[in-house]
Amino acid sequence: MKISTKGRYGLRALVDLAANGDNTTVSLVSVAQRQKISLNYLEQVFATLRKAGIVKSVKGAQGGYMLSKRPEEICLGDILTALEGRFSIVDEPESEKADDNLRKTLNEMVWDRINDSVNQFLEERTLAELVENYRRLNMQEGNMYYI
Amino acid sequence: MKISTKGTYALEIIVDLAMHSEPDRLASLKDIAQRRQLSEKYLERIAGMLKKAGLISSTRGAYGGYCLAKEAGDITVLEVLRAVEGNLAPVKCLVYSTDCGIECEKCPTRGTWGELWERIKSVAESVTVEELAARAGEK
Repeated sequence: MKISTKGRYGLRALVDLAANGDNTTVSLVSVAQRQKISLNYLEQVFATLRKAGIVKSVKGAQGGYMLSKRPEEICLGDILTALEGRFSIVDEPESEKADDNLRKTLNEMVWDRINDSVNQFLEERTLAELVENYRRLNMQEGNMYYI
Repeated sequence: MKISTKGTYALEIIVDLAMHSEPDRLASLKDIAQRRQLSEKYLERIAGMLKKAGLISSTRGAYGGYCLAKEAGDITVLEVLRAVEGNLAPVKCLVYSTDCGIECEKCPTRGTWGELWERIKSVAESVTVEELAARAGEK
């Protein structure tokens, strides 16, 4: 049961972007350096995030990416759905095969409950909260951000 | 991020055993496979893992078969999933250190993945095999 590389790196990069740019563009090169993620990979991930309407790209000398909404308006679910698809603890076809009582019971009492609990968490948690937490963690080390 | 068929079938086997076996009335894998309409070969592999984890026990021989190794009320979904899926963490770095290039203390996301994992664990821990068997039996 794993979150894919795209989901892990994508979220990390997005928090970095949001923490380091407030209505200003951030270059993917700088995100790649801070987060130790290959630039090539980040370009793919941000193309996906742009298609999903989470970030927008600005071309030119001061170009780069920025959030297309306020971080308070972007929930974790939006980001992960764009990068991984909607969260489901078991494959959908499995639940459709629920043609007997035991499988129906497992769907209702286990899989649906896990999905509901996780999806509720993903919808409640905003990017702004992750950014705030990230700043707090890094400030303790004396690393201030100039925003 | 998925539970594989190993996890879903393991739950089916163990709930089936809770419903159809007793220490003095063992269930054969053939019967389970027939009731569940699953391959006996695959079930045998999964049953082996459940046995190793101490959740079910087996007896060989003409009247051999499987039953639960402890009370159904003492077996949680989380234990069953762990027995066959291994580590259930959504990201590896919650369990052991990985070489991702940044320090955990400064990671923007590790804490959030940890919270997500807690959500999954707390649901899986709150449901027992006894409750599942009771509900499946009353339908």
